[in-house]
Amino acid sequence: MPKLEILSEQQRTMLLNWPSPENEDFPWTPMSKSLSDCKVALVTTAGLHVRGDKPFTTAKNGGDASFRVISRLTDPADIIQSHTSIGFDRTSIYKDINITFPIDRLNELVALGKIGSLSDYYYSFMGALRNPAGLIDEYGPEVAKNLIAEGVDVVLLIPT
Amino acid sequence: MLEEAGLVTTSISLVEEHARKIKPPRILSVPFNFGNTLGEVNNPSYQHEILAATFDLLDRSIGPVLELFETDKIERVILSRSEAMTGSEADKKDLLVELSDMKPNYEKWLETNKGRTAVGLSSIDTELFPAVLGFLKQYTAGEVADSGLRPQQFSIGHFVRYCVDDLKSYYLESRIAVKPDASMNDLYQWLWSDTSLGDLLGELAAVMDDSEDKEVKAIAYGIAR
Repeated sequence: MPKLEILSEQQRTMLLNWPSPENEDFPWTPMSKSLSDCKVALVTTAGLHVRGDKPFTTAKNGGDASFRVISRLTDPADIIQSHTSIGFDRTSIYKDINITFPIDRLNELVALGKIGSLSDYYYSFMGALRNPAGLIDEYGPEVAKNLIAEGVDVVLLIPT
Repeated sequence: MLEEAGLVTTSISLVEEHARKIKPPRILSVPFNFGNTLGEVNNPSYQHEILAATFDLLDRSIGPVLELFETDKIERVILSRSEAMTGSEADKKDLLVELSDMKPNYEKWLETNKGRTAVGLSSIDTELFPAVLGFLKQYTAGEVADSGLRPQQFSIGHFVRYCVDDLKSYYLESRIAVKPDASMNDLYQWLWSDTSLGDLLGELAAVMDDSEDKEVKAIAYGIAR
């Protein structure tokens, strides 16, 4: 996060009062093999989706917890963002999709042998969820099931 | 959920305070502005540095792991209309003339970006943007409550929002095409202070904020503030 002191008072207050879940415990799955042998998937909360796919909604009660599937081979020109809050800069993703959805960087890591392979499908959620119930109870487990069915080992989670 | 299902996760956070509360298994907290998670656009080596630090967390045997990625390269970004307004005396054009003037620059943007554009949420073709602007002007003035351009699947509130998002993207991409070195602050200051669109969106947000329709009122916050 940009240092709190360089944010506007409004942004600082909003972030500090955000209803973020507070967990006492955490899940932990140990790595069982080298990253260079793993299949990696990318999951974003940037509200990205394929052009023509249903946009995420912004005014749903507590936020839109649903997800969209983006094939790894999708042309970046066909990926669009409906998380359009004016609380964050969008000009950077205009210029370079990798700033928040590093598809080229992951391909390069595979070519370098640092990552074994990539999943055929990436997943996208909306950010800034005030109520994560739908994510926890329905959509998150569904994505987990899909990733496991595809043989994914490691998931890289990136916000915007 | 992913980790509980047997997947190994590693992640990046833009809000360290939230990450400390949520306790994900492995997380790299970065100090960048929202929308800039991997640090710098078109800087693959720096982006790889951040990704390498994120993947390195997979080597830890005990969690939760929260590491900080430090840099002092961050400048404050001013995005909101209320903060970016400069009281500019810029000679603003009629909205339709202004929109028409953007067209060659937007075409240049498409040419130099392999056709990639953020425009398209409304599903309205850019050739129809003059009609979209006409609708937004009339909607702001309280003269109409809906548009024949609106696809059925969108509520009126969301249709307005997507039209506004498309117009913002059209303007900003057009500006970047001719001012590629403009900073984020330059771009948002120009949009909000120097364009007639910025003025219209300020008025539109105020009108929507006064609406009794809860959805329309909520959407106003994302139009301009």
